[in-house]
Amino acid sequence: MSFFRITLHRSAIGLPERTRGVLQALGLRRRMQTVFHPAEPQFAGMIMKVKELVRVQEVERRLTKGEVKAERTPEKGFYIEKAVRRM
Amino acid sequence: MFGPFRATNPLSGGLLWKIPWRLSKFQKRRHRLRLRAVDSVVATLDAALAKRGQTLEAIERWKAEMPTEEEMLPKDKYTMFDRKEKKYRKGIHKLPKWTRVSQRINPPGY
Repeated sequence: MSFFRITLHRSAIGLPERTRGVLQALGLRRRMQTVFHPAEPQFAGMIMKVKELVRVQEVERRLTKGEVKAERTPEKGFYIEKAVRRM
Repeated sequence: MFGPFRATNPLSGGLLWKIPWRLSKFQKRRHRLRLRAVDSVVATLDAALAKRGQTLEAIERWKAEMPTEEEMLPKDKYTMFDRKEKKYRKGIHKLPKWTRVSQRINPPGY
């Protein structure tokens, strides 16, 4: 069972009501929001309606909200790129 | 002649919009990237459904009718048909919401 990982990349401001309705039906409310839907023809058809606005990947399982957030969170702390000799 | 109340075109006439008649090379590049992004979305959907042995009429129609970014002529990428224009072509950036709609094919012969 695979899923579509759908991220809203472009806003639908100023686009027809039908287009914004499709985004609402997909559960996309704001830019860069990510939702998961089963890889089935009915969801593929909905994505086709908004293909200019979203980025889509096929993934094996639904990630939780926390996992999606962890992907784009940088690692804590710092590392030294190049050690400089102390004076 | 000078100063804040000088009679320039935008001040005296109200609206004066200056939209260049053609795209810059940077606009063209971003436009190509957007076209490719749409192609990749369609390819992803098609591959995912093909794995399950399913298909979709909208995808089949898109593949049959719409050229991909590589297949498109520069003329169709950056300009579109308009019956009121000289030589029947205008820049694609004159199309409302042109960065968020698909405008790839034009009438045959134009």
